[in-house]
Formats: sequence, C-alpha cells, structure tokens
Amino acid sequence: MLLEVKALSKRFGGLVAVNNVDLVIREGEVRGIIGPNGSGKSTLFNLISGVYQAEPGGQIVFAGEDIAALQPHEIARRGVARTFQLLRIFTQMTVLENLLIGYHPHIVYSSAVAAIGAAKVWAEERRLRDEMMELLGYVGLTEYAEMPAGELSIGQRRLLALGRAMAMRPKLLMLDEPAAGLSPVNVDKLLTTVLELKKRFGLTVIVIEHILKVVMESCETVTVLEHGEKIAEGAPAAIKNDHRVIEAYLGKEMDDAEVRAFLKAS
Amino acid sequence: MKDTSTPTGGTAQQGVPAGSRFSRRHLPWLAGFVALLLLPWATPNAYHHYILNIILINVILAVGLNIVKGFAGQVTVGHIALAAVGAYASAVFAAKFGLPFWVALPAATLFTGMIGALVGIPSFRLEGAYLALATLGLAESVRVFIGVTDYIGAAIGFSDIPPPYFFGRSVVDHVAYYYIVMPLALVGIYFSFCILRSDIGRSFKALREDPLAAAACGVNVRKYKLLAFTISALYAGCAGSLQAHMAPGFLHPNSYTITEMVTLLLMVVLGGLGHIWGGVVGAVIVTIIYDLTRDYYQYQMAIFGTVIVLTVLYMPRGIGGLIDNYFATRRFVAIRKAKANAA
Repeated sequence: MLLEVKALSKRFGGLVAVNNVDLVIREGEVRGIIGPNGSGKSTLFNLISGVYQAEPGGQIVFAGEDIAALQPHEIARRGVARTFQLLRIFTQMTVLENLLIGYHPHIVYSSAVAAIGAAKVWAEERRLRDEMMELLGYVGLTEYAEMPAGELSIGQRRLLALGRAMAMRPKLLMLDEPAAGLSPVNVDKLLTTVLELKKRFGLTVIVIEHILKVVMESCETVTVLEHGEKIAEGAPAAIKNDHRVIEAYLGKEMDDAEVRAFLKAS
Repeated sequence: MKDTSTPTGGTAQQGVPAGSRFSRRHLPWLAGFVALLLLPWATPNAYHHYILNIILINVILAVGLNIVKGFAGQVTVGHIALAAVGAYASAVFAAKFGLPFWVALPAATLFTGMIGALVGIPSFRLEGAYLALATLGLAESVRVFIGVTDYIGAAIGFSDIPPPYFFGRSVVDHVAYYYIVMPLALVGIYFSFCILRSDIGRSFKALREDPLAAAACGVNVRKYKLLAFTISALYAGCAGSLQAHMAPGFLHPNSYTITEMVTLLLMVVLGGLGHIWGGVVGAVIVTIIYDLTRDYYQYQMAIFGTVIVLTVLYMPRGIGGLIDNYFATRRFVAIRKAKANAA
C-alpha cells in the first residue's frame, strides 16, 4: 500500500469539511474520488498535500511514514504531486520553466555552487531542459516551450499542470478535476495522456472528477464522498448503481406522505 | 518515475550558458569589458568620473533590489536602509576599528547580509502592502537611529572615512576608484546572472507568482524568501561600503531617505522587474536622468513618481520585458516553422 488515510477530519469553524475519512490506496492503482460540490474532495487533497493541517487524531501514512504534520514542500519532496482545481500554473514564467520548477525537488547542485556559476550547474541545466522538453512532448506542448504560460488556452494549461506534476517524478499523482472546462475531444486527449503516463512511469493516481466518463474509463476503484463523509467505495460499475450515490447526486425520491409533510411545512 | 529514458536532445537551450570554454558567443562580453576598461578615458572630466562610479554603485544596489523585489516578488521598501547599514558598518570598521578597506568591505557586506535575513523574517507572515509598510518602518528606524547616534556622526554626518589603499597608495582619485567599483559591479552582475538562471531564480519566480503552488512543487517558501532578502542585502551592503569609502569619505543620513528609495525603485521598475538586466538598464538610465535634472530637483520626485505609475500601467515589465517578449515571440515562430518543415 502506498497511501493510508486514517480517521482524517478537517473543520472550518462549525463546518466539518472532512469527517473521519479512511482511505487505502494501493501502489499502481488509479483511484477516483467523486461526490457533489462541497462534499470535501478538494479538502481531502489539501490535507494529503499538507495545504491544510488535519485535526488531531487523523493520520496520513505515505510510503510507511506519517506525513500529516509535514509542510507542503516536504510532502512534495517525498513524491506526492498534485494539480489544482484552479490550475495555479505560473503564468508569467515560460511553459518550460513551469516544468523545470516541478523538477525542483531533484535538483542536485547547491545554492552556493549555482551562485558562482560552476560548469556542472550549466551542464545539469542543459540536461534538465532536454528532459523537460521530452516531457513537454508527452503533453503536446513542445512548440510553446518558450512562451509565457499565461498565453496558453485552458486545455493547454491543464496539460501543463499535468506536465508540471509529472516533472516532480512523483510516486503519487493527485489530479483535482483535470478535465473541468475541457471540450469532449480534449477530455479524451487528457484521458489518453494520463493513462499513457501512468503506464509508462508506473504511477499511482488519485483523480477527483465530475465527468463520469473519465472516472469510469480510468479508475479501478471509486470512493464517493458526501458532506465530508465516505458513503461508498468500490468498482466503477458497482458505484454507478449504488442507491446512496444516486441519492447523493440526484436527491432522494419522496413518497406521498413525505411530499404532503413538505408542502405543509412550506 | 520508473522510466529513466535518456535525453533526446531537445531544442530549448536558450538561457543556459554553453559552458566555460571561450567561444564567439563570448566576444560581445569581451568587447563590453574592454569598453568598460576604457570608459574613464572617454569621459571628459572628474565630475563625470564621479557620476560613472555613482552609476556603478546604483547598478549594484538595483541588481540586488531586483532579486528580492523583481524575482522573488517581496514588496520591500527598506533596501535603501540596508545600503545605509552597509555604508555605516564599513565606515565604522575602517574609521573606528582601523580595518583596511579590503577587510571592511567584505565584513560590511556580510554584516548587511545578516541584517537582511532578519528583515526577511516578517515576510513569512506579511505580503504586499503590509510587508511594504513593515520594511518602510524598519528603514525609517535605521535612518532615525543613525541621525541620533553620536558615535557615527548623528545628524552632522560621518566624515573622514579612510579611502582604500592599494600597494601603499590611497585611492582617492575617481578614476582609480572606478577600477575598484567596476569589477565589483561586474562580479555582482555575474553572480545575479548565475543565481537567476539557475533553479534558485526559478524558485524565486515561482514564489513570487504563487507561494502555495511553489510549495506544492517542493519549494521551501520560507527558505527562499530569506535567501532572496539575504542576497539582496549582500548587494546593498557592498554598494553601501563603496559609497562610504569613495572620496570625500563622508556619509549623511539624508542620503538614505524615502526619496532615495523611490529613485531606486524607479530604476528597477523602468529597467524591468524580474528581468535579468532590469536593474542594470534602469540604474544607468535613472542615474543619468537624475543627474541631468538636478537643476529642477524640486520636481524630480513628481517626475519619477509619474514615470513609475506610467511604467506600471503601460509597460509593467519595463524595458527588459519588452525585449523578453520580442525574443519569446521569435523563438515561438522558429519552433513552429521547424515543426512545419519537419512535417
């Protein structure tokens, strides 16, 4: 097992965003996390990646180490890469620089060596640029390498966010709504790219997604959250027919007595 | 990643020096260096030699400010106070403790670096205008402290700061001093070039744009904020020390007011915030304009303030940004053409 989340909770004042969630992710697995808006999916990602600190008692064990109290950069250095729902790419940096910053945890030269401009720094930088250009090729952005990332379209930005996370050479890749706002053609393209990268680099992937096609076609297991709690978990086909999941997404059908009571109350 | 496929020889080599061997690419640099060596002989009089030194000292100051403000995005208005710390520390080391310039300069630079690290601590919690206010308060405190401390001359000023000695001869002449300031300015530019073209520069830019996303990429935001403040303070300390020991060897707290800070900010904003040559270009242009408009000093701040506002509105990345955009577009077209030809 690569990631084990135990009794994880997060409160914002009176609101319980994540409530006592347990999660086990096997190495090499593609896990989908679904749920209506406000169900705590992104908060769960923020807890795992260290953006938020979990409530006392919760545990996040990654590769055998409890990372719940670590800072985001320390968690990233341990091999957890993520994308954001609102992308958060570095718009004023070039596309290539966005990927290079993803490689930051693996830079081998020290700040002092960089400051004096030692030859090995430039040799490493050239090697890195070659490697990142290759990665840009995977996500189909080669020709935009030297353009500011802010000039990319939304679909290209999503691919860049994926590329930046991949540049971190992660063990665990967490994708927060990677297909949001994409056309059906671009959703297919993104799906293919993610699965290709997963296969090629042997990644473990957790993906939050509202587009069911993405979840059904890419995930082996799906976890469903509602009001911060885990309400179901299983294979995509089973989850699709789970009555609790249908209720969470579509609401509960009321019988006649309930309708009369509702009308009277209103 | 399990895959460790070998690099395929990509096309984007821009921005990475080709190595230490001399090639034709280095010729313009060599020509520039020779021109700088000969520059004092091409300028007409002692006053212009003095201005040359001021330009180079401002280049060091502005390059340092560009690192913390332009690249790391930390809104500091206390940089001029760090220059004051460097200047007065160097003056004390030399005039009070009897240390030679060659020891006082690095000692003052390191001392200012340490003060810079302390100034950087509020940046852990403060951003934008709040950080600007905190650093402004700190800067004014330094100036007021100097103004009331008799040991360093208080409001009268610190005089009789010894000049550098070189093989037993004092370097009082501005042309001779130029040959101390110019190499130091070049070394400063070289270091900034190395820092900003490496992973450190990228980390600075990342934390400027989005500290949270930078942290998610593994960048230790606090460490890099402190590093930016410390490096820029080292530059300010060096520039301050050079100011102190330049003839006539006199310092006054009024040389480090908010007015001087605005001038320094203008250098960086006009040259290009976050552009590698921004500090250099801005310092040269603004120092020359500052000198040419001295007769209208009462309007200088109004003019400089207006230029800052107009630059931010219509040329937010300064002169350097315009140059960057031009080359980025050229490279995009070149790569697209190469792809079309290959297809």
